[in-house]
Amino acid sequence: MSANVISMRDALYEEPGPKTRRRILVGTIVASIAVAALFVFIAWRFYVTGQLSPKYWSFFTKVSTWRYLGQGLLGTFQVALTAGAISLVLGVLFMLGRISRNKVGSAIFRVVVNFFRGIPSLLLIYFFFLVIPSYGIKMPAFWMLALPISLTASGVLAEVFRAGVNAVPKGQREAALSLGMSEGKVMRKIILPQAIRFVIPSLISQLVVVVKDTTVAYVVSFPDMLQNARVLITNYDALVSTYFVVAIIYILINYAINQASVAVARRSGAKVIARTEEEPI
Amino acid sequence: MSNEAQGMRPIIELSHVEKHFGKLHVLKDINLSVQKGEVVVLIGPSGSGKSTLCRTINRLETIDSGSIRIDGELLPEEGKELAKLRSEVGMVFQSFNLFAHKTILQNVTMGPIEVLHTPKAQAEAEAMELLRRVGVAEQANKVPAQLSGGQQQRVAIARSLAMHPKAMLFDEPTSALDPEMINEVLDVMVELAQEGMTMVVVTHEMRFARSVANRVVFMADGTIIEQGDPDEFFDNPQSNRAKEFLNSIKGH
Repeated sequence: MSANVISMRDALYEEPGPKTRRRILVGTIVASIAVAALFVFIAWRFYVTGQLSPKYWSFFTKVSTWRYLGQGLLGTFQVALTAGAISLVLGVLFMLGRISRNKVGSAIFRVVVNFFRGIPSLLLIYFFFLVIPSYGIKMPAFWMLALPISLTASGVLAEVFRAGVNAVPKGQREAALSLGMSEGKVMRKIILPQAIRFVIPSLISQLVVVVKDTTVAYVVSFPDMLQNARVLITNYDALVSTYFVVAIIYILINYAINQASVAVARRSGAKVIARTEEEPI
Repeated sequence: MSNEAQGMRPIIELSHVEKHFGKLHVLKDINLSVQKGEVVVLIGPSGSGKSTLCRTINRLETIDSGSIRIDGELLPEEGKELAKLRSEVGMVFQSFNLFAHKTILQNVTMGPIEVLHTPKAQAEAEAMELLRRVGVAEQANKVPAQLSGGQQQRVAIARSLAMHPKAMLFDEPTSALDPEMINEVLDVMVELAQEGMTMVVVTHEMRFARSVANRVVFMADGTIIEQGDPDEFFDNPQSNRAKEFLNSIKGH
């Protein structure tokens, strides 16, 4: 990675001279002191307000606490992976509709994609939770969560896939056509495989969004990690400490996903579009 | 080399072909027929429409009016019929256009397997034979990006040959190559011509045109200005436009 980063920096900035180097050093020291002071302040406020007292933290030594959070985490994973898988399939389908040469079809899918891309997933979850059941369609809480999340994600993925398809050079299509392949076969065998390789990092980044979307599970009373954390908060009356721990778990999960995307991007060796590996979100 | 004996049978026949790019009239009343086994070289200044003409023959460019026949059959406008006709006409591009996500071997077997439904083992055996012929058999398991331009273009020729085409179109096959790689590609093309392949070649390689072509077609401003025997054309061009062009590219 370091080689990449250096080359990217060289491309963006000049090599610093002695004055600039001194200025950078001073800036680094000042910033470090400021960050350290902030942490000390936070710890001090925790102490002053009694948030560090054992009654807020001791239940984290119990196995039952972790088992309960673990069950929630499992729920989070189930929803995220299900929604992620559905959104991949729908994303490809929406994209194919969007780029179709049938003008009406293309226009319809353009509206569909922009609708799901633009609507907050929480609003869609309310729709699945409140509106759809009133028409007599009942579904488990799991699906009232997974379906809306996958729909909003698929709107984004459709555009990601479209960017990938556009990034495949025109000559690839022409060469395949000139061999006598049908349009459909050209898409399946030549364009899509290359397009998907281009956007793998963006796809994985979108999984992070999906994981974060699952945290509104409380709306449909689905026991995801955050929902279970709320229960813990009520039981132990420990709001700050519980949210603190859960936040760190979410950050670790999403950091791991981003690292995976960097690794996949590097292994696929393909030119990568959209988010670069230097700045995983 | 016994093609003359089979008599004159046009494999490619364009008549009164017209095409516009917006307001630009790129092909003006083009009439051209290519006989079986004939090597026709299209030359002319850039923007003369020669590449466009080449690409209309397998309908990578559509035409506004006129007709194109391949082996007597009218070029279909869409669907399976068009795909079938394209499978019978090989095309080699300026930028190679090898499938970037496939190995060299897969690039060559792809057409036979996906279009002709040749069994995989047979397609691979034939592909290896073709790769040997164009001299890149050792690279069979690499991906295109690992090969030099000249090697890639030879693979592209092998990929087209794997379809057993009735004719081959070459759209400036050496224009994107480093000078030292041009000959390795031209050598393969010379060999093909000697084996009796019907070829339409858009090129700036005048030596190739002179030594291999049965006929040189000179285009300018969307029109065929003159055509004829290569030696005659190069030594004694009839039109002023051709004289100017030949003077402008004369060696240093």
